[in-house]
Amino acid sequence: MSGGVDSSVAAALVAEAGHEAIGVTMKLLPGSPTGFGCCGSPEDIGDARRVAERLGIRHYVLNFDEVFERSVVDRFVEDYVKQRTPNPCVECNRSVKFGALLRLAEAYDAPKVATGHYARLEEGPNGVRLLRAVDEAKDQSYFLHSLTRGELERVSFPLGEMRKPQVREKARALGLRTADKAESQEICFVPGKDYRGFVRSRAGDEAFKPGDIRDASGRRLGTHEGLPNYTVGQRKGLGLSGGTPYYVTKLDGPSNTLVVGSLEEASSTRFRVGRLSKISGALPRSCRVRIRHRGDLHEAQVEENGPEALVSLAAPANAVTPGQSAVFYQDETVLGGGTIEEVLG
Amino acid sequence: MTRAVYLDHNATTPVRPEVVEAMLPHLREGFGNPNSAHALGQGSRKAIEEARERVAALINADASEIVFTSCGSESDVMAVYGAAQAGFNESAGKRSHVVTTAIEHFAVSGTCRELAARGFEITTLGVDENALVSPESVSGAISERTSLVTVMTANNEIGTIQPVAEIAAICRARGVLFHTDAVQGVGKIPVDVRALGVDMLAFSGHKINAPKGVGGLFVRKGVRLAQLIAGKQESSRRGGTENTASIVGLGVAAELARKDLDAHAASLAALRDRLEAGALSLDGVRRTGNPALRLPGTAHLCFQGIDGHQLVVGLDLDGICVSSGPACHSGATELSHVLKAMRVPDEWGKGALRVSLGWGTTEEDVERFLASLKKVLGKLRQSATI
Repeated sequence: MSGGVDSSVAAALVAEAGHEAIGVTMKLLPGSPTGFGCCGSPEDIGDARRVAERLGIRHYVLNFDEVFERSVVDRFVEDYVKQRTPNPCVECNRSVKFGALLRLAEAYDAPKVATGHYARLEEGPNGVRLLRAVDEAKDQSYFLHSLTRGELERVSFPLGEMRKPQVREKARALGLRTADKAESQEICFVPGKDYRGFVRSRAGDEAFKPGDIRDASGRRLGTHEGLPNYTVGQRKGLGLSGGTPYYVTKLDGPSNTLVVGSLEEASSTRFRVGRLSKISGALPRSCRVRIRHRGDLHEAQVEENGPEALVSLAAPANAVTPGQSAVFYQDETVLGGGTIEEVLG
Repeated sequence: MTRAVYLDHNATTPVRPEVVEAMLPHLREGFGNPNSAHALGQGSRKAIEEARERVAALINADASEIVFTSCGSESDVMAVYGAAQAGFNESAGKRSHVVTTAIEHFAVSGTCRELAARGFEITTLGVDENALVSPESVSGAISERTSLVTVMTANNEIGTIQPVAEIAAICRARGVLFHTDAVQGVGKIPVDVRALGVDMLAFSGHKINAPKGVGGLFVRKGVRLAQLIAGKQESSRRGGTENTASIVGLGVAAELARKDLDAHAASLAALRDRLEAGALSLDGVRRTGNPALRLPGTAHLCFQGIDGHQLVVGLDLDGICVSSGPACHSGATELSHVLKAMRVPDEWGKGALRVSLGWGTTEEDVERFLASLKKVLGKLRQSATI
C-alpha cells in the first residue's frame, strides 16, 4: 500500500473477497524526509495507514531500503554511467516487490501478495499466465515480465479487470481518502524529476565528461555535456543547429562520443536481449515485442540462445535503447522478456 | 482466536481494574473542579490530595513535593527546562551548562537540544557497553557554570539501572541540581527519593497500570523551577485544571505497586530469566546489557542478521505484542540511539527485540512467546537465505 489509489483499492478488493488482508507499506528510501512522490513519504504512509483503518485491516510499514538501494538505485546509476537507459520499475518488481516482499510474505505464512498493478493473471492448463490489463492506457504488464511462474502463482492483481475511472469510483464509494489522489511520478527515488542531477550526485562529475557529438561518418557537429545526459532517440537538448533534425543514435562510451543521425539512422531492426526470463517455456519463433512502456507492439522473429535472445523486427523501430526491457507478447499474454543489451543494426 | 500475549509493558501497561473502578466516580458524578469552593469541588480536591499522598508514599517523598502533570515527558521537560532556565536567571546568565547522557528518552534529549539552540552548553556523556554511565564522568563534566545534571534511572530499551544515588551525591557536593527520569523505574524497582538524594524525579501513570495522560514530577522542597504552564494550580508549579479521575487512578496504581513491589519484581525477574534462557538457546541470539543491574521485567535481545521490525511484525501476526525499540512504527531499521551509544554492531543491533513483562504476565505467556519466536525466527532466517 503505497498510499495511492490503486493499491488502496487492491487492498479493499482483497478484504472484500473475504481474505485476511494485511496492509504493507514498503519503506524504500532511507532517512527522513523519505521518498519523493510515490514511495514512503510520511504523507503517503499516513494515507496508507488511514485507508487500512477505514478497511478495518492491519497495516505495517516494512523497511526494504537496503535491497532497494542495492538492486534498484545503484543499478540505475550504474546503467547511466554505462551508457544505458535503465528501467527501475522492472528492477523494483523483480528484486523488491516480487523478490524481498514475496519472500517475507512467505515467512509470514501469507499465501499471496496482492498489488495495485494493472495486469491480469489467468489460470490455464499449463499454469498461470500473465496477461495485459483490460485498461490499455494503464497496462503495467511490461514492468512485470521478469516474474517467474512460481512467483506469479503467489501474486494477485485485483485491478487487472478494471479501468482507472472504475478504480477511483470504487475508492470513492468506499470513502477512501486516496480516491482522487494524483498519479505518482515514475521514478520515485529521484527528487524533482531531475534524474541527471541525481546520477551526477551519485556517480560524480567524472561520469559527465564533455565529449564530441559526431554523425555516423565521424564528422564533428558539436560538444555534449556528458553521456548520461542523453538517451537513444533523443532529439531535444542536443544544442545542434541546422536544417534537418538530429536524433541520438548511439552513446559510445569508449570514445565518449554522442553519435547522432537522421530519424532513419535512429531506427533499428535487430538487437540482442540479455537476462532473458520466460514465463511459459520456450519462446515461439514469431511473436510481438514491446521495447518501452506503453510502446507499440512490433512484429518480431526471436532466436533464443541460452540466457539471451536475438530479436529481428519486421519493420524498423525508432530508438531501440540499451537498458530498456524488451517484452514478448502473444496476443494478450506476456511470454517473458529481458534487457536490451546491444543494437545490432 | 486466542488472547494476544502482551509483552510490551515498557511501552505501556494495561490499566488495572481497581484503578478503573476508582476513577469512574470522578468521570461521572464527581466532576467538580478541585479548585472550586463548593462541596462538589471539595470532593475532587480531597481525592486529588489522597492520590498525592499515595504517590508520595511510593517514592518516599512528602506529598507537597509531588506535582501532577499530563505525562512523563511533560515531567521531564518541566524539570530540565525549568531547572536550566531558573539556574540561568538566578545566576544572571553565569550558569548555562547542562550535563546529560547519550541514552536519555527524547523528552530529555529533545529538551537539551532546544536548550542548546537557545545558547546553553550541553555535555552529553557516553555509556559503556552495558549502557552504564560512570559517576566519574559526571564529576568530570561539572563546572562552575553547570546548573543541572540529568541522568535516567532505568533505560526504557535495555532496562539498565544507573548509579543514581552516587551521581546525585556528586551533584549535591558540587552544588548542582540533579534530575532523573524514573519513568521506567518507579513502581518496578524500589525508588526512594531520600535515599537516592535526587532533586527532581519524573514518573508516568501508564507505565504502572494507570491510564495514559497523567504523570508527575517529584520536586524537592526549595527547588525553584521556571514554570512552563502558567497558573496557580499544583502550588503554582503547573497551571491547568487537574485531571482528577486520572490522578485518582495514578494514586491507586501507586498504592498497588507499593504493596507488592518486591514480590512482584522477584516473580517478574524469574519469568524474564526463563524467557531469556529460552531465547538464548536459539542460534544467533545475544542478550544486551548487564544481567545484574537492570529492570526485573525487561529482556533485550539482538538477533544477528535479522531486521528487528520484521521480527516484531511476524510475532504480531502470531499474536505476540513486543517491540524492536522505542516508537518503531515508522518501519525504519536503524540502530536506536541507545544501541549506538553502547556501540552494538549493526549486524546485531538492527535485529533488536525488547520484551518487557509486567502485571498480568504468566508462565504461559512466556512459553507462547518462545514457541512463536522459534517459529517466526526460523522462517525469517530461511527466507533471508533464498
